[in-house]
Amino acid sequence: MDINSASVIAAALAIGLAAIGPGIGQGNASGQAVAGIARQPEAEGKIRGTLLLTLAFMESLTIYGLVVALVLLFANPFA
Amino acid sequence: MEILGSLTILNTFTLAELEVGEHFLWKIGNYTVHGQVFIVSWIVIGVLLIASLAATRNIQTVPGEIQNFMEYALEFIRDLTKNQLGEKEYRPWVPFVGTLFLFIFVSNWGGALIPWKLIQLPSGELAAPTNDINTTVALALLTSLAYFYAGFKKKGLGYFKKYIEPTPILLPIAILEDFTKPLSLSFRLFGNILADELVVAVLVLLVPLFVPLPVMALGLFTSAIQALVFATLAGAYIHEALEGHGEE
Amino acid sequence: MFDFDATMPLMAVQFLLLTAILNAVFYKPLTKALDERDAYIRNNQATAKESLAKAESLVKEYEAQIAAARKESQSIVEKAQAEAREITAQKTAEAQKQVQTQKEQAAQEIQQQKETALATLEQQVDSLSRQILEKILGPELVK
Repeated sequence: MDINSASVIAAALAIGLAAIGPGIGQGNASGQAVAGIARQPEAEGKIRGTLLLTLAFMESLTIYGLVVALVLLFANPFA
Repeated sequence: MEILGSLTILNTFTLAELEVGEHFLWKIGNYTVHGQVFIVSWIVIGVLLIASLAATRNIQTVPGEIQNFMEYALEFIRDLTKNQLGEKEYRPWVPFVGTLFLFIFVSNWGGALIPWKLIQLPSGELAAPTNDINTTVALALLTSLAYFYAGFKKKGLGYFKKYIEPTPILLPIAILEDFTKPLSLSFRLFGNILADELVVAVLVLLVPLFVPLPVMALGLFTSAIQALVFATLAGAYIHEALEGHGEE
Repeated sequence: MFDFDATMPLMAVQFLLLTAILNAVFYKPLTKALDERDAYIRNNQATAKESLAKAESLVKEYEAQIAAARKESQSIVEKAQAEAREITAQKTAEAQKQVQTQKEQAAQEIQQQKETALATLEQQVDSLSRQILEKILGPELVK
């Protein structure tokens, strides 16, 4: 396997694997937020704001994977 | 770069193309700068300056339309800073955190909303300044400097005590934190904006009309949230430096 | 993609300049405007609250005055009623007394007149009987 194809596979794995954890985390957080809203509908605005912020934080974990994938594809230090 | 080249050869006839890592280089003495980043950032700065000048040129007790809008923006920023820094300390940090938010927000939206592709550059393409790693790293390093400055100003050299409190065992982690903070800040913003533009570009490659629209809307949403996240985190880091560890 | 060059420090300087300029033309004046408006509104609210309190105290005062006046008038009415009752009672008593005395007087008079009348009647009876006797028996025999 030459370095180019290895990089492409590694990039695909990087983004794919990096999406697993945040996916689970985001699902958890959203579920908890919905439960919180159901229990306390008057706190919806606050919960929604916090939820969006935390979702963005989890999202950035995938983005790190994406950055690694992009590095492998477009700025590969070994190619 | 070779991979990219082989990808774009397939699409020689398309309306859009993927360009990553190509820059419109300017030379200043021995140094090169990325011209396309500066052009767009000047436009962003111009928009911000014109909006604020228009709002504050004729300040009235009962605000006009633009003054009202900018006051809304200012109140939003003040609330954001106050939430992170607390009632007592927030005032001197409003300009820094607020400018972070405004600059990133206007950059992101400007990059997404204005059809930059219509303007041809010799190389590279115009896009949001925040999709260049230099910009985000600059902002993140400024944030780091800001929280160091805040800590030193408040506590002097006692600021370093936070590294060995509660226990010196955590010293390496505490030091590492100072490096991961700007790293994660800059990569988060950079990755989000770049990913957004790449996804839109890839979709435009596949289906040029209408299909990318929802993704573009999602991109607008994420870029707004990213601006908010950057400003919030900057505020949180400054607050942490002001308060020290474990005093929440 | 990860090619750092002079863009980074220049961008940082540019951002700091932007912060300084925006601080001068945006944050400071608008913050001042917002604070002034806050102060203005708070002032107005304070004065409004003050006048409201004043009005309320005035209302209370007036109500107290009205209550006092009502009490006074009631007491006046009561006094007047009591006086009137007293006067009527007095007048009635007087009138009754007067009537009583008049009645008594009248009765006495009647009694007196009856007595005088009876006395004169007796006299007349006497003289008449004497005359009758004289007439029947002759004046010589009556003595």
